[in-house]
Amino acid sequence: MQQTAQPAPAPQPAKAKPPAPPPEFQEGDIARMDAAALIRILTDSSSPEFQKAKACQRIGELGAKEAVPALSALLGNEHLSTYARYGLEPIADPAADDALRAGLSKLKGNLLIGVINSIGKRRDAKAGPALAAMIYGVDADVARAAAAALGKIGGVSSKKELQAALAKTKGMTRMAVADAALVCAERLLAEGKRDQALALYASLSAADMPKPARLAAMHGIIREETSVSRPR
Amino acid sequence: MTTRREILKSAIAPLIVPSVVLGQRAGAVAPSDQIVFGGIGIGARGAHVLSKLLGFSQAKFVAICDVRNERREEVKSMVDQKYGNRDCQMYDDQYALLARQDIDAVLIATGDRWHTPLAIIAAQHGKDVYCEKPCSMSMEESWALADAFRRYNRIYQAGCQRRNGANFELCKELLKSGALGTLQTLYANVGPSADWPPIPSRDWLEAEKLPPKQVLDWDRWLGPAPWRPYNSAYVRGGWRNYYDFHGGGILEWGSHTVDLCHWAAGLDDTQPVEYEPVGTNVGPYKVLCKYANGVNLVMRDDGWEGSLKTGSCSFRIEGDQGWVETGDATRIESSANIKPLLRPTESASLALVNHVADLLRCIRTRQMPRASAAAAANSHIACHAAFIAYQRGRKLTWDPEKREFGNDDIANRMRSRALREPWRV
Repeated sequence: MQQTAQPAPAPQPAKAKPPAPPPEFQEGDIARMDAAALIRILTDSSSPEFQKAKACQRIGELGAKEAVPALSALLGNEHLSTYARYGLEPIADPAADDALRAGLSKLKGNLLIGVINSIGKRRDAKAGPALAAMIYGVDADVARAAAAALGKIGGVSSKKELQAALAKTKGMTRMAVADAALVCAERLLAEGKRDQALALYASLSAADMPKPARLAAMHGIIREETSVSRPR
Repeated sequence: MTTRREILKSAIAPLIVPSVVLGQRAGAVAPSDQIVFGGIGIGARGAHVLSKLLGFSQAKFVAICDVRNERREEVKSMVDQKYGNRDCQMYDDQYALLARQDIDAVLIATGDRWHTPLAIIAAQHGKDVYCEKPCSMSMEESWALADAFRRYNRIYQAGCQRRNGANFELCKELLKSGALGTLQTLYANVGPSADWPPIPSRDWLEAEKLPPKQVLDWDRWLGPAPWRPYNSAYVRGGWRNYYDFHGGGILEWGSHTVDLCHWAAGLDDTQPVEYEPVGTNVGPYKVLCKYANGVNLVMRDDGWEGSLKTGSCSFRIEGDQGWVETGDATRIESSANIKPLLRPTESASLALVNHVADLLRCIRTRQMPRASAAAAANSHIACHAAFIAYQRGRKLTWDPEKREFGNDDIANRMRSRALREPWRV
């Protein structure tokens, strides 16, 4: 290989420290508040945006299910929606799923995509039918997010929906559906549904599939067929 | 039902092994044999990596994507000057760059928040990846990264170049040979608290007037990080030490040095099972860790140069018969019985050149590079677990198989971060 070796620059100390945060943008006591105090911040219309943002993140760490209504009220806020999902995503209670699912019919654009992404992360199977319908909607970015969420949710129902969508979508949306189908196949393998997974891989191996997904599906088949743990 | 034979037949029939995989021809590298690169988010560190890449005739760099106009222009100028043409194309949308069929691989050197989402998007587009460290912002991102590169069978080289540094390799060999005896304790120098405290700030800087979008696209600069008001200090390199952009001092340097410990000790497929934080957020600190096999890992803040002045990113291996320690100063310190076994090594600064060469070789051969996504995921998860233990201020136990802390629900809720819409991993 042709290579001219050059000495690396000496490690540089960190750059000069940035300006200090103004008092109104300092987390302070919020980091130590309990759920009730945090909910009061979220439900007080006079609370500054910064305080609400930090309260959401802290609630996520506490996993406080009683905060679900206050968090879900922020899902439509362009600045705070991510923070609201920061709070909702780790809450184990099904009320968080209900709140996110309710957002599917209320939100549009990126805010809707955020909710879809959180639903996918939580693997809320109840959202499956609504997500499947969204794959064919007019907003292509929403369609791709819906496909990705279905793949993460996994299961036989998602497999059927994604397999059908492979034949009905095109371009970037089809690429997203194919990626979701790959994820779904892995979920099926993990659940012991090997034949279903291999059938999905076979669909993805068709010559007209997006090349990266097609090669990944072939790789999946080979990996599975050569696995020492495969049924013999 | 589809039979196994039918599936294999349909899968293997279209497979054609590209000539590039079969190895390089002797002599000059034909353009058709060059590995074509694009770059995303190339700043000071990325330009350093790019300068090494441009030194290899087997690689050709053709495109740069950045949300900052001045960065695009700087990289284009650097590349065009090297090649003596004006061919390097500029993009402000990563999807446009990744859609190019002629691009085989991408160099990602954005801020940390973008590393995992971009690398996964690149894999979904069939690209191989060199990505700067830290490779992930959370445990969840670490798992997603490893899964995506396994799924798409793409090559991923993390910017953990010391795995290809001769002085680090010699230390690994001394352990492997048995010269150090049975492994007892690994030491990883982590981010000096004076510059990168273990727990970053959750505060915001005051709002400033947004520059025009063609100069800086703030929305795309933020990317997967939660919204906050624009302040130019972040963009000028001051984003570190803010929780939404940074994983703290443990991850900042541990992504190098914990990674070295894993590699040297053959622990690339696991993580420690115990994490005990010692210290505060303003002075030297440690996290005492233990693997399931009883080996100890000490993540320690020993300042920039380490206590033995072996240089930045130092690590130390202690066996029951001897010890070695080295860092970016190249020099290896050791117990007296090991000194006769030491030999001069090439400069640690050549590690990056070797690392890029390793990447290019693996792109051709489809072999696993030294700093693969799977290896990086495990070393990063160890850093994330230590970071979480530090935030919790208590000893935590961790189950690498179940992927959960055994004794702390809050810690378990800190394994992932919500990404700003529309981004996901």
